[in-house]
Amino acid sequence: MSLPRRVDPISTTLLQKIKECLDSLNEKMEVMIEIQKHEQHTIPDGIPDVLDVMTLLSLPDHLRKTAVTLCKLDHATADEVAGQTKRARAVESGYLNQLVLMGYVKKERRGRKAYFYVEREENQNEMKESWEK
Amino acid sequence: MGKIVAIHSYKGGTGKTLLSVNLSTLYANRGKSVALLDLDFRAPSLQAILKVQNSEYWINDYLNGVCDIKKALVDLSQTHSKRGRLLAGLANPGTEAIREMTAKDRKWEMKALGRLLSLKASLLGEMGLDYVVLDTSPGLQYSSINAIVSADIVLVVCGMDISDMKGTQRMIEELYELFEKKTGLVMNKVFADILGSKDQRADLANKLLNSSNLPMIEMIPCFCDILKSGGVTIFVNENPEHPFVKTLDRMATTIEKL
Repeated sequence: MSLPRRVDPISTTLLQKIKECLDSLNEKMEVMIEIQKHEQHTIPDGIPDVLDVMTLLSLPDHLRKTAVTLCKLDHATADEVAGQTKRARAVESGYLNQLVLMGYVKKERRGRKAYFYVEREENQNEMKESWEK
Repeated sequence: MGKIVAIHSYKGGTGKTLLSVNLSTLYANRGKSVALLDLDFRAPSLQAILKVQNSEYWINDYLNGVCDIKKALVDLSQTHSKRGRLLAGLANPGTEAIREMTAKDRKWEMKALGRLLSLKASLLGEMGLDYVVLDTSPGLQYSSINAIVSADIVLVVCGMDISDMKGTQRMIEELYELFEKKTGLVMNKVFADILGSKDQRADLANKLLNSSNLPMIEMIPCFCDILKSGGVTIFVNENPEHPFVKTLDRMATTIEKL
């Protein structure tokens, strides 16, 4: 009877690093696929589109779920979105980055964390002015 | 936490406002804290029905970023509720305001969606309300879809008109299911002879639901006295023994369990 093989700590670390690299590669490929799809109907002059309900309706199911969740959370990390959608963090990270590239979502770094958000309230004064007119 | 309930329909005149007003009052009479918001900016009607003389701020102002939600709410607990708190957010019925709301661009609608989504935190969270009832405009309009996305539960009101039923079926497939909303159907103004027969009731439900597995929350009979009242009577308060109120009471309990 053979004894179970012992995996040494160096191999474990190496495997972990390989897994992280593959995850990262997977995210990048998802983004590239989405860019290719999106290039067929690019927004003229690179003007970012608006994430309103009609846009939400036109998104594919997987991206809509991510976008609606982000709208509800306001500012969120991929981890926080994944907590709501019950999908893997890496998957949500890929979808959120696709939405960033499509111009619907903004991304900012705070320390080591990346936060995603829908830009809405920056023109609060503009809204008031238009109302006063 | 409480619930946000949007009352929507494919066509106009299905009884959304009648149901919204009476359902909100019924919950308030049960001791709940309720806010009823008029999101039908093309045909605002709550001010007339609730007989509110004047409102300093409207829901329009809240969505325009002019005031916070508390300022846009009128407290009707003393005049309209027997036990609980009843607040109302009214849509501005002025012609200029209606014109202005129909001319909003997509960017504004996106911001309006953000403001509606934040009601969960402000009304249900900070103010501790049990229910927020959104009376929406019919069909696929920005304001109604914004309301649907912001709601926890969507009640779809449908009449017996074939075009209404077909339109409702399309909305089930192309709207509520896409947003993964908890949705219930209400058939309103159903003829008494249909309701009297179990088979005919089941046929009607199948005809509307088609292949969808959404729950049929209630089938409300067509009452001539409701039509005659012309929207002036809040039946829950003024005629609590009316069969319509009994039906609504059952419906309110079903919604609580959703």
